[in-house]
Amino acid sequence: MISLLHVSKSYSRRNKVLSDVNLHIKAGEFVSVVGQSGAGKTTLVKLLIGEERADEGQVVIGDWDITRLSRHEVPYLRRQIGVIFQDFKLLPKKTLRENVAFALEVCGSSQAKIKKIVPSVLKIVGLEDKGGRYPHEVSGGEQQRAAIARALVHQPRILLADEPTGNLDAINADEIMELLLRINKFGTTVILVTHNKEIVNRLNRRVITMDKGRVVSDKVHGKYLL
Amino acid sequence: MLSFLRIIKFSLQDIARNIWLSIVTVTILLLALFSINTLLTVRVVSDNAVNAVKEKIDISLYLKPEASESDITALRSRLSGMPEIKAVNYTSKQAALDSFRNKYRDNPEILQALRELGNNPLSPSLAITPVDFDDTANLVNTLRQLDSDIIESRDFSDNTAVVAKIQSVTNRVNEIGLAIIAIFVLTSILVVYNSIRVAVYTHRKEIEIMRLVGASNFFIYMPYFFSAFFYALMSVFIMIIIFYPFLTLFQPYLEVFLAGYNVNLLSYFVYNFWPIFGAQFGVIFIITLIASFFAVRKYARV
Repeated sequence: MISLLHVSKSYSRRNKVLSDVNLHIKAGEFVSVVGQSGAGKTTLVKLLIGEERADEGQVVIGDWDITRLSRHEVPYLRRQIGVIFQDFKLLPKKTLRENVAFALEVCGSSQAKIKKIVPSVLKIVGLEDKGGRYPHEVSGGEQQRAAIARALVHQPRILLADEPTGNLDAINADEIMELLLRINKFGTTVILVTHNKEIVNRLNRRVITMDKGRVVSDKVHGKYLL
Repeated sequence: MLSFLRIIKFSLQDIARNIWLSIVTVTILLLALFSINTLLTVRVVSDNAVNAVKEKIDISLYLKPEASESDITALRSRLSGMPEIKAVNYTSKQAALDSFRNKYRDNPEILQALRELGNNPLSPSLAITPVDFDDTANLVNTLRQLDSDIIESRDFSDNTAVVAKIQSVTNRVNEIGLAIIAIFVLTSILVVYNSIRVAVYTHRKEIEIMRLVGASNFFIYMPYFFSAFFYALMSVFIMIIIFYPFLTLFQPYLEVFLAGYNVNLLSYFVYNFWPIFGAQFGVIFIITLIASFFAVRKYARV
């Protein structure tokens, strides 16, 4: 599903953020990528969504070699990969429903398709009754749910979660993790980037540990090592 | 079609959210257009004045009354063969007398004096039309040196100095006008650039999310280009609304100032509506589009 072969990336000569990274993630896996700040986790996410390009090596998603992706191809890649972030990235002047619909609107989806998909993804994340509320009217956990709903509108094969619980308390964080596991059960590959030790240890799923731009550990039923 | 409508919707949202900036942008474009149209008005007035003065340029050769028809025909042919002469019109003694009588038909004293003379005192003449009115001085020189026994007198009421003066003033006005237009065009580019930059800045989060969820560059950039189109359209539209009443008010003063000349600015701008305002819209749109393109290219890469 996802292959990184001898991938290296640096922003300057002295600052090599990824160094000879080799990874293979199968379809339907739930993988946690852990590591301290500056380990290269976010750069890995940026490579997978086409925001950055590898200096060396190869990045392949499915049958698609995205190593040298052109600017015009990036939108098509992003419609196949849902992404959520720590800061939710919701538009404050739009309701949760409008935020979700916005992802379809800007990709040219028909109104009929939007009316069909938006309620169904809001239902998946448990926000069917709160679609009319604005982000500031709901909790952080609910905002992250809305962000997940938006990430799901294109029915992505991969969901990238970059520190999704970073801004949440323990209860909301647990709910989000449950939701991600549920989405993974539907067959979506989930890549969780985090440094939340308890969550990773409780998951008991594959854990890739990064340190100083390298993969230092890759365990099928791993624990947070650092 | 759906995407196009959404692009228009996003664009109008941009304009509404930054309404004061949009108003300033349209106002600056409007000032640029007003300076262009003012210069055009001056141009139309001066062209009309120059043409009217040129029409009054009279180059005539008066011939001896006893000159034979064959000599006159020969001289006429000789003049017609000159490259700087466009036409030569012959007025016979009788035709000159008829024209004189017609001109002074309401003046019995002059007509009585003419009757008392007993014969036709007027001379036959050749009225000459130059090919190029701006080159009248050379033609006059040539005609002064023309050697013919049947020429009695030569009348060159030389209006070239007046024409030159008008053209000199017009050229000066054009130079100043072009400098003003250049300043406004430059200001317009900077203002539109800044407006789009601010619009991009206020939408940076939306642009970031658009990129994140896979919106195409076309969809991200197009609302800003549509805003440029909207600014151009609005400025030309308001210009039309302002300019025609302005012309209507200005026309009576112009008629007084240019008494005797048939200069109708309003009908000129009505007759040439599409070429004038179509071209202005095209130019303003291109200016705003270029400014938007550079602003979007620089600032919309969130």
